[in-house]
Amino acid sequence: MTAVAHTTELSIETTGLSKRFGRQLAVDGIDLAVPTGSVFGFLGPNGSGKTTTIRLMLGLSAATAGSVRLLGREMPRHLHEVLPRVGALVEGPAFYPFLSGAANLHRFDAADPHVPAATRKARVRDALDRVGLSHAADKKVRAYSLGMKQRLGIANALLAPRELLVLDEPTNGLDPQGTREVRSLVRSLAEDGVTVFVSSHLLAEVEQICTHAAIMSAGRLVAQGTLAELRQAGQARLRVLTPDAGAAAQVLVGLGLTVDGATPAGRSRPTGDGPARDASGSDGDVLYAPLRAGSGDGGVPPEAVVAALVAAGVRVRGFATEQVSLEERFVALTGEGFDVVQ
Amino acid sequence: MSSETPGASAAAPAADAPATPPGKPSGGPRAVRRTWGGGLFASELGVLFRRRRTWAMLGTLAAIPILIAVAVRVSSAVPAGRGPAFLDRITQNGLFVGVTAMLVSVPLFLPLTVGVVAGDTVAGEAGLGTLRYLLVAPAGRVRLLLVKYGGAAVFAVVAPLVVALVGAGIGASLFPVGPVTLLSGDAIGAGEALLRLLLIAAYLAVSLLGLSAIGLFMSTLTDVPVGAMASTVVLSVVSQVLDALPQLEWLHPWLFSHYWLDFADLLRQPVAWDSFATNAVLQAGYVAVFGALAYGRFVTKDVLS
Amino acid sequence: MTRKWLRWVPAVAVPAMIAAGVLVGSLPASAGDPLPAKTPQQVLLMIAQHNEKSLSGTLEQTSDIGLPQLPKTGPGGVSSDAAWLELLTGPHTARVYLDGPDNARVQVLDKMAERNAVRRGNELWFYNSKDNTAAHTQLPAGAGDHHKAAAGPVPTPEDLAARLLATLDATTDVSVGTDVQVAGRAAYNLVLTPKSAVTLVDSIAISVDGTSGLPLGVELNARGQAEPAFKVAFTSLTLQAPDAAMFAFTPPAGATVTEIPAPERKANATPPSGTAPEAKGAKRPTVTGTGWESVLEFPAGAAAMPGTAAGQAPMPDPAAGNPAQADPALPGGPMTGAASLLEQAAVAVPGGRLISTSLVNVLILDDGRMFAGAVPLARLQAAAGLG
Repeated sequence: MTAVAHTTELSIETTGLSKRFGRQLAVDGIDLAVPTGSVFGFLGPNGSGKTTTIRLMLGLSAATAGSVRLLGREMPRHLHEVLPRVGALVEGPAFYPFLSGAANLHRFDAADPHVPAATRKARVRDALDRVGLSHAADKKVRAYSLGMKQRLGIANALLAPRELLVLDEPTNGLDPQGTREVRSLVRSLAEDGVTVFVSSHLLAEVEQICTHAAIMSAGRLVAQGTLAELRQAGQARLRVLTPDAGAAAQVLVGLGLTVDGATPAGRSRPTGDGPARDASGSDGDVLYAPLRAGSGDGGVPPEAVVAALVAAGVRVRGFATEQVSLEERFVALTGEGFDVVQ
Repeated sequence: MSSETPGASAAAPAADAPATPPGKPSGGPRAVRRTWGGGLFASELGVLFRRRRTWAMLGTLAAIPILIAVAVRVSSAVPAGRGPAFLDRITQNGLFVGVTAMLVSVPLFLPLTVGVVAGDTVAGEAGLGTLRYLLVAPAGRVRLLLVKYGGAAVFAVVAPLVVALVGAGIGASLFPVGPVTLLSGDAIGAGEALLRLLLIAAYLAVSLLGLSAIGLFMSTLTDVPVGAMASTVVLSVVSQVLDALPQLEWLHPWLFSHYWLDFADLLRQPVAWDSFATNAVLQAGYVAVFGALAYGRFVTKDVLS
Repeated sequence: MTRKWLRWVPAVAVPAMIAAGVLVGSLPASAGDPLPAKTPQQVLLMIAQHNEKSLSGTLEQTSDIGLPQLPKTGPGGVSSDAAWLELLTGPHTARVYLDGPDNARVQVLDKMAERNAVRRGNELWFYNSKDNTAAHTQLPAGAGDHHKAAAGPVPTPEDLAARLLATLDATTDVSVGTDVQVAGRAAYNLVLTPKSAVTLVDSIAISVDGTSGLPLGVELNARGQAEPAFKVAFTSLTLQAPDAAMFAFTPPAGATVTEIPAPERKANATPPSGTAPEAKGAKRPTVTGTGWESVLEFPAGAAAMPGTAAGQAPMPDPAAGNPAQADPALPGGPMTGAASLLEQAAVAVPGGRLISTSLVNVLILDDGRMFAGAVPLARLQAAAGLG
């Protein structure tokens, strides 16, 4: 986990934030740091505590322990100063089905006592325009599709000029076209200088639009930083393709490495369908061994490993050092083998 | 917790807000002062009275006097002293349709409709999920609670008024209207009679304020609006049942439904204001107690819907 | 956040404040003895000398004499022929308006209904909104001295006090208790305690306005009962002449109007019913015993319960509370529909049946004779010559 330097201005900062429901710890002491101006991906499998964290951030629910600062002010103490500058989509859109899209936005805008009523009409129109719902403005929300509701939810977050947007699964239920539109919307907002905090269980989404990301697993924050940092933080590893798996493993262990697993050709690795398997063919087993990144402190240089293997008479049919993909890292960190859509 | 006491942050100073990023969906400068204004309240009334359900309930209430009037019109004369009070006076004076209809709707129909509206206040928003969006707007929990109660209170005023006015209207169109005989035997003109009718509607509106506060509290306890509505209506029935048990006489003056039927005191000459005042004090007590409970519950509530 | 409990403070404080307010309000307002001390004789004199002929006030009556309360089905209330019994068993509120000896109006405030007695000069009107009936009678000239006759179904404190004081003799201890507050006025509390041990009456308390001498309330306490068996008192009172329009009564359009022939001499016994006077005149009760231990004996036939035959009185019999009788629950008036109710309340005892209340016992022998008195059953049986 890379600590974000505290010299940067932070739009969201949580310290030891925890939330307990009964005996279950839904959020377990997380320290989020979302730099101002970033597009921050909040990654995690369903049920990992992302939405609960967002609720705590927005003052919808009270933290069991820890604190939240939003736009530099403590929450929920300064809720009334902070929230007017924050647009949010929390756990999917929710509207009055018997009201039109525009009427729904009027309702939520009226709930904010800080915005002028005189400009309400224009702002609602602009927001609908921005998400491409102008044609359906007067249609009852009851008749909206899930994607339209999702867009209306984003429009609601854009009703007033915001400094921070918190979007919880903004592309849920959108078709590929809608997903693309949302992504470009987020990008254009980011260009305007708005900090965007996007939660998602889709890695691809985060990889495409985010500058930063954090990964949640079972209520804990397991990694956060820029995308580049996250990728690098993953340890490089050795990949050895050999028919002499047993001997090779002994050599690797002898060098102080830990062998992740010897996968017979054709069988999948326990952590998922790694790309290495395809190459293995029937040539033997594939061995993986993490290579400590800073090879200075007791790390073994790869060339030394090859030399040792060869010296031990191991038939090395393939040898590579590979960097872990963000996806594998995500999977490794969260320990979940779920659908990571490309 | 997550709400602030009113006025604690009365303003989000413009200087505090960094410059608006360019090219954003902006419709004007950020409001400097926070307003408690009627914007949200007007919006609340808009939502309440744009619901088909609200109109269905008001329509049901309006149907009561119409049914009574038509039934009396097509049937033979009601013998004196039979049926609900005032029923036998309708043929002589149409304005009594309003009084009879209010009398008939007090035990069930008015509490039922008010219970639905009051039970829906917070739980309905929670059920739809819109509560979280109102709160992050931010509406402010105390402000939202007040607005919600205000909306329920407006309905509590409108509901008996509908019964009274529809009753007077249908009565005037089907039966003669003239001087109205009060319970004391004295007669007053139709104009003053209409005034008394409105007074009764006001009495019932006050009577329903306590129930509205109970409904508001019930509504903060659950995210299932039907549950809050049902428990509110059930409580109104329980209160009336307890009020009918002579063994619990000591409890009767404390039941919120105890004075509901005492609106007849407004039909005496001179008007007996005692029950109006006692009832108002009792209802104010219920509003204070259940308002405080609703406050305690709502501002500490984790909004998870 | 950590002070979450602070948000619940109002929810605790508000009920606590209300409870405290109620508690303080219910404490008897005993601000020392605000009234100058008086002997019972002086208080009695105040009553005798009071000359408040004009007032408007609200009376509240409660009774707990051990009879079952009549079922009040919905807002409708009870049938009119049981009305007089209903007056005894349930709580009631009445408004009283007096202006001089000749103008009076009493309104018994029922649920969704009202019974009115209006007197203006010699004109006396009764009106019952329940069945929209009115009755009219012309009082004989000179009846003005007995303006109490118009006081109607709920006796005014003045009436009751006068009756009770009339029965005062050596049998009773009379004292002045701690001052009380009645209708917001400081009042003397005249307490009558029977000397006899053989009576159901524990004490009678009369509150007398400290400034005007007007009786403000009467309380009958029965032995072995914490709550007063019968209590009537003003809850609000102004000693000013009411609006003259209060005494102008014309029967409303559509009301059934009955004309009651003017009664002969007795202004104090004006039963509007036609049958009662005969029965009363024919068979007079005899009294055995004295004072609190008096037992009235009604010969067979007087107590016959006429079922539904008797004509209905538009108003309950104002003479039911005859001074000679300690309790107006005795027969002598119309008791048509109420009869069955009394039948239900009666229990079989040796020699007959007993109707027992906390103030009065009535023994009906199998041969039809009836004994009544504010005494235990044994005393009645003794008077009847049983055991």
